Amino acid sequence: MNRNNFLIHLALAIVLILIAAFAGQLNRWRRQWRHRVHIMPVAEKKRPSTAEEIALAEGRPGRAELLVKFKSNVSLSTIDEITSRLHDRIEDRIESDPGLEAIDDLDDADVAETVAQYSALPEVEYAEPNYEISLDAVDAPSLPVLPRDPRFEDQWALANSGQRGGTAGADISATRAWIKTTGSDKVVVAVLDSGVDYTHEDLMQNMWQRPANMAPYQDNELGTVEDEFGFNAIDNSSDPMDENGHGTHCAGIIGAEGSNDIGISGVNWKVRIMPLKFMNAGGFGTTKDAIEAINYVIDRKKAGVNVRIISASWGSTQKSRSLEEVIRKAYENDILFVAASGNASTSNDRTPHFPSSYNVPNVVSVAALDRNDKLAKFSNFGMKSVAIAAPGVDILSTWLGNQYEEKSGTSMATPVVAGVAALIVSENPRISVDELKKKLLASVDPLPQLKDKITTGGRVNAAKAVE
Amino acid sequence: MSISKQDAVEKARKDLARRLNVDASAIKEQSVEDDDFPDMALGAAEDGEMSGQMITSGWRIRLGAEGKNYEYRADKNQVRLYGFKGKNYRV
Repeated sequence: MNRNNFLIHLALAIVLILIAAFAGQLNRWRRQWRHRVHIMPVAEKKRPSTAEEIALAEGRPGRAELLVKFKSNVSLSTIDEITSRLHDRIEDRIESDPGLEAIDDLDDADVAETVAQYSALPEVEYAEPNYEISLDAVDAPSLPVLPRDPRFEDQWALANSGQRGGTAGADISATRAWIKTTGSDKVVVAVLDSGVDYTHEDLMQNMWQRPANMAPYQDNELGTVEDEFGFNAIDNSSDPMDENGHGTHCAGIIGAEGSNDIGISGVNWKVRIMPLKFMNAGGFGTTKDAIEAINYVIDRKKAGVNVRIISASWGSTQKSRSLEEVIRKAYENDILFVAASGNASTSNDRTPHFPSSYNVPNVVSVAALDRNDKLAKFSNFGMKSVAIAAPGVDILSTWLGNQYEEKSGTSMATPVVAGVAALIVSENPRISVDELKKKLLASVDPLPQLKDKITTGGRVNAAKAVE
Repeated sequence: MSISKQDAVEKARKDLARRLNVDASAIKEQSVEDDDFPDMALGAAEDGEMSGQMITSGWRIRLGAEGKNYEYRADKNQVRLYGFKGKNYRV
């Protein structure tokens, strides 16, 4: 090859390389342009207006791909013919469901239109977008959970829609908490009160029963007590049947069976209520019997019962060192003690109310709110001595003889908080009593009207508590 | 057994007569009013007594004797003497 020929060949080679490079670049440009064309119609797609369009938009289909179910009498060749005619491609046949085809829309047309196109065909049973399943969908806010209990609408404490002159939202956000948990039958709450009507149809499924493999309660002085359903400290017997109604009311607030088509729902749909009776038919009892009952709870905890909370809707202004000490023993056994702050409309910082004012780490003192988030006119308060507030006016709950009654008092606010504590435990079975109290108090919705009244300055929020 | 308002007043009169050691006819009924009390001991707990913290409907009974006034509180379950010489008593 002479020098001239060599230069000509070299020039040709360079030109060819340049042409190839230019062609490659053109291809990249073309792909980019096509990509833009692919994206743009989606971005510029008209705003969804029909319910179906909105659903499709919210469903965020990943790409123009459909799931089409053809009728059983449609042959594969007909399916091929249809998809080809519509300029689509069968991406996959779902063998486990004959007639179900994953279809790639080669035109990248609007998904809703393509779905409509297939849905209109007589050969098609149904067509739907192949939705992209993403974490966003999982994280999307869920709808509140509503129980099927016929009198739930009267339970403003759980869901306040403004009924009977109340303020919408002045509640404990139970319906949002229930998205996460409705409670657990592994969690036992001791209701230390006038006993519980354990035959009430809205409670009986949630009553604690001593496991068959657990020995009966033994007490050095009392001997053996066949504590099948709890404990009666008044006559040291095994029958904690309520003769007053107060304990049954408190039990229903904590755990009337939820969504059972009967009466009301408790803060917990599922829980185990351990009834402890130390107050008589009049609704009062002695410090000594309260101590006996708490002693029983601690014994059962040591025996293996997962009793994590004592709900104590009672009290007086008389301090008892013995009572304080047994509550401290409960703390040492990882049991929360939720107590009523009292109904004297006074400050517990000035005039303490016991047991709620005992300075023991497991004690949570509870004030009462009305349906407008105002401190109930009867409720005690105290920046240093009352921890948290909860609904406690006109609270509907279970009563003796399969009845329901509305009652008011810090007695009613206390089991609301005890119930929320039980929800927390259902989600965190190993939580310590200190952590449980911390989580409970951190859950509050701050209310300006409580800012200078109670320690947390807020109302318990069940949804935040179980986050 | 459920106590009526009239039963409660009668029980209160007898109790006060006994405490003051006077004849029941010397006890004057000043007023009997329906009222709500702060707890199930009607706001009149005895020493060492604990009561349910539920608002409880009942009757406030005011009696007079020997120039002094006395207050009883009652509901369908009980009758109590309130603040007698600084103390409360279940009758």
